[in-house]
Amino acid sequence: MRCLYRAFTVLGSYRAQRVMGVATLAGLAATAILGLFVVPPDATQGNVQRLMYVHVPAAWVTFLAFGVVFIASAAYLKTGRIHWDRVAAASAEIGVLFCALTIVLGSLWGRPVWGTWWTWDPRLTTTAVLLLIYVGYLSLRKVADSPVRRAKWAAVVGIVGFVDVPIVHQSVVWWRSLHQQATVLRLGAPTIAGSMLATLLLGFVAFSLAYGYLMAVRMRVGRLEDRSAVPVSSLSAPRARRPRSAGVPPPASAGVPPPASADVPLSASAGVPSSMPADVPAPVVSDSHA
Amino acid sequence: MHDVGYVAAGYTATFAALAGYRWHLAVRTRRARRYVTAVTGRARGWRRRP
Repeated sequence: MRCLYRAFTVLGSYRAQRVMGVATLAGLAATAILGLFVVPPDATQGNVQRLMYVHVPAAWVTFLAFGVVFIASAAYLKTGRIHWDRVAAASAEIGVLFCALTIVLGSLWGRPVWGTWWTWDPRLTTTAVLLLIYVGYLSLRKVADSPVRRAKWAAVVGIVGFVDVPIVHQSVVWWRSLHQQATVLRLGAPTIAGSMLATLLLGFVAFSLAYGYLMAVRMRVGRLEDRSAVPVSSLSAPRARRPRSAGVPPPASAGVPPPASADVPLSASAGVPSSMPADVPAPVVSDSHA
Repeated sequence: MHDVGYVAAGYTATFAALAGYRWHLAVRTRRARRYVTAVTGRARGWRRRP
């Protein structure tokens, strides 16, 4: 588990992010080119089968992301370290994106093949339930008032919600379903042509890279947002109040005018500097500092 | 020919979703950085000179 967190931390460096971003773009472009122009169309479904090269990898990343939520949630409950909660939150957000994408792509594929955008098929229904569970997970994170309580509640939901992942995967086996059975993740040899399998595997790699890249960026955002949510007094307050000596450069803020002087005037109620831009939300100040 | 529209829509939706989420993360990063800078008075990565 520690390796997992370290991996996301290492991937969070600017250079690693840039390399992974380029690799992701190249992988996605290669998948699209192969899937759209190189691989022959399916014998029965025709061109619409080309959606498989994005639909199935998106579903794979959904499972991967929610698997990481499960591991990180368990790690948080075991260790109590907040960075696990950050990993879980980031992965859940990306998982919801890919889960919604999977449903949209499946719907686009189902319309010409099944003749309907949506049907209450076991695979579709369990996937929709999965999406709702993790949308609820993200909503829960917005509701909880204290960071520790938020992390605990979210960890429990993250673990319980993962129960639906194997149900989604096995739904086409357990129940009679319109959705086709597994062609790659199954016992025995894949029942798919070689060129199609190669393109599909490339799609898996490209989408996994996209997941890793988005996770690294999202983790960076999470760290920044957590930093901006802690009490103002613990945010380098002594340094902020210290008069600047000559020769020390003023802060290079990104479009925000820095405080006029080192004695930053803080509002008495919430500790908001008077130079706070209008579109920046008010800081979260814990009860002990309010 | 009709099927090509669904395929095009699917690939467009995929790349639009990924690009849109990346853009969303960039906006959040910028906002959080501005916030931290405004509160601390220091830009990210700022170091005191010896």
